[in-house]
Amino acid sequence: MLLHLDFASIFAAPNVKHLLWGVQYTALLTLTSWVLAVALGTVMATLRAMGNPFIERLVAGYVAYHQNVPMLAQLFLWYFGFPTLLPEGAQGWINTHGSEFIFASIAIGLCMAAYYSEDIRSGLRAVSAGQHEAARSLGLSFTKSMRYVILPQSFRIAMPPFINHTVVLFKNTSLAMAIGVAELTYTVRDIENQTFRTFEIYLVGTVIYLAVSLSLMGVGAAVTRHTRIPAK
Amino acid sequence: MLDIFTYNAHFLLLGQYPNGPIGGLALTLILALLGLAFAVPLSLLLALCRVSPYRVLSVPSTVLVYIVRGVPLVMLVFWSYFLVPELIGHLVSAFTTLVVTLVIYQAAYLSEIVRAGIESLPKGQTESARSLGMSYGSTMRHVVFPQALYNMLPSILSQCISTVKDTSIGYVISVQELTFSAQQINASLLTKPFQVFLILALVYFAVCYTLTRCVQGVEQRISRRRATGKMSNVRSIINDSVLQS
Amino acid sequence: MIQFSKVSKWYGEYQALVDVSAEVGRGEVVVVCGPSGSGKSTLIRTVNRLEAIQAGEITVDGSSVHQATLNLNRFRSRVGFVFQQFNLFPHLSALDNICLAPMKAAGKSRRDAKQQALALLDRVGLASKANSYPQQLSGGQQQRVAIARALAMEPPVMLFDEPTSALDPEMVGEVLSVMKSLARDGMTMMCVTHEMGFAREVSDSVWFMDRGAILEVADPQTFFRSPEHPRAQAFLSDLRH
Repeated sequence: MLLHLDFASIFAAPNVKHLLWGVQYTALLTLTSWVLAVALGTVMATLRAMGNPFIERLVAGYVAYHQNVPMLAQLFLWYFGFPTLLPEGAQGWINTHGSEFIFASIAIGLCMAAYYSEDIRSGLRAVSAGQHEAARSLGLSFTKSMRYVILPQSFRIAMPPFINHTVVLFKNTSLAMAIGVAELTYTVRDIENQTFRTFEIYLVGTVIYLAVSLSLMGVGAAVTRHTRIPAK
Repeated sequence: MLDIFTYNAHFLLLGQYPNGPIGGLALTLILALLGLAFAVPLSLLLALCRVSPYRVLSVPSTVLVYIVRGVPLVMLVFWSYFLVPELIGHLVSAFTTLVVTLVIYQAAYLSEIVRAGIESLPKGQTESARSLGMSYGSTMRHVVFPQALYNMLPSILSQCISTVKDTSIGYVISVQELTFSAQQINASLLTKPFQVFLILALVYFAVCYTLTRCVQGVEQRISRRRATGKMSNVRSIINDSVLQS
Repeated sequence: MIQFSKVSKWYGEYQALVDVSAEVGRGEVVVVCGPSGSGKSTLIRTVNRLEAIQAGEITVDGSSVHQATLNLNRFRSRVGFVFQQFNLFPHLSALDNICLAPMKAAGKSRRDAKQQALALLDRVGLASKANSYPQQLSGGQQQRVAIARALAMEPPVMLFDEPTSALDPEMVGEVLSVMKSLARDGMTMMCVTHEMGFAREVSDSVWFMDRGAILEVADPQTFFRSPEHPRAQAFLSDLRH
């Protein structure tokens, strides 16, 4: 096996284009899921910070569900299950407009929103009440206190787990292959089926995933280092 | 929805056992336990290599952990599916492939947790053990690991619960675990995908959430013991009449 | 300057402030003392509405603290508050800590705020620490920066909530000397403190509190030599030992 590495056939023209499409889809899926996850996660963390017990339990339930059900099961529930709840017309429209991609984004985005909301929440909780009091006592409004005093501190604290979960989100996009999204993993399998050069194409796919993951982790470490509050 | 569950409960929870191979939730749990049985000892070894001063140990182990952390589980499963038969020399079942993947995957993640536990211990612990004349191995075994593992117990248990969720990846290589079984039920019913997959989600939720609450209980016990346990140890020595005489 | 009129506060069933009525005159320095749990911190925190009250009225410089039309943020910027735990903002340097509120709440330009901040740092003796971060400063230095930060908004009245209780003994003096110089410059001050030396030296009036009520109001000479109320006598004799 290892003696007959043949990268030429997997890098033949149609396969390269195919691979690039796969990478593009992965990137697009990562982006849409990420935006949804961050937006929803921030909203939930803010809602939770307001103190209403009913909302608190609602959000806690949301987080518990999404953290205890595997991503794949959530994907299936959204892709196979959810459309049947929609009226006929909507189902038809969705099917012709890339339902796989839409539901993959929704499933991954909603799942990671739970994790992001917990990260933001722990960042907010880590800032002591005294900081709120001091900021308000100086005459800063609630919004200005959050903007100049609380959030800068929460952001720095929440950064490391946030970056980690972003890498997890990126890796989770590979599960979309199970519902037919033509992202990178799906494309790799496809090329393997056509060229039978299993090792080579898996290697290329792995290298691409590794490159992105390690870059994300590297960027995260750099940002954390750059914004770190100076210690003693 | 309840009738779908009760009609298919046996298949979903036990597979075809006793009239065939185990499947469903039972297989999921077996996969998780089997995976962890090997992953936990492997993770301790891997963590030791990571903190080792010998580069011949620390570099490969670090590379391995970074690769496992940077590549999606799906890709790792496909790698195993391809590599394991090549390395062993003959075909293996999808079950074995999955277990091997889970072992390596969980060992890498657990080793990171253990490593964090080791590195968060004050250096004074190792220093005092070594100056008492204890060997490196003995220090690790009697001083470092007991404390590091105890400190990281909640994280380790959380990772174990993640393993139950990770077994769902067996779907892509047709292992008869819970997710695959649910898909088969869906394929036979065809008109009720929402109910079937909701049941799937709820089964996973019931299992994992219960386990998570147990872990939270452990976490509380640990913090309670932290607050009082050490003091009671000290008291017992003080009250020891043999030592006082 | 500050008027308490029959102020009462409850935490559930427990009454933390019992019908408190007292007044801090303009330019006066008032020290509030008493055993722990007496409600002195609670009382001072009601002035800038860090604590709410259920009965009574509080007036600062003529305006009622609880009126609906009050601009709370502007009001708070006119009442300087110094915390026991300093509460400096760890992600900002000492200079930025002081500049933040003048720039963002009072709308000063960065240059004006910076100039004022440097002057204040100089006044509290920390001009060289302008670019240091709170974690790099000692407790006494942090508290002095906190005082400068409160002064930056140019408030007519300063409130101190046990400003030296969290400090190591050798740093108490540097903070007290800043407070004494403020008092000598005519600042209206209300201080919750255990530092009886400070009270004797610069205060105009001592309020003794116990169990939510002001039991005795006296000038420092009278209070420390011969307090009237038995509980005040007990408190002072405990302090001496």
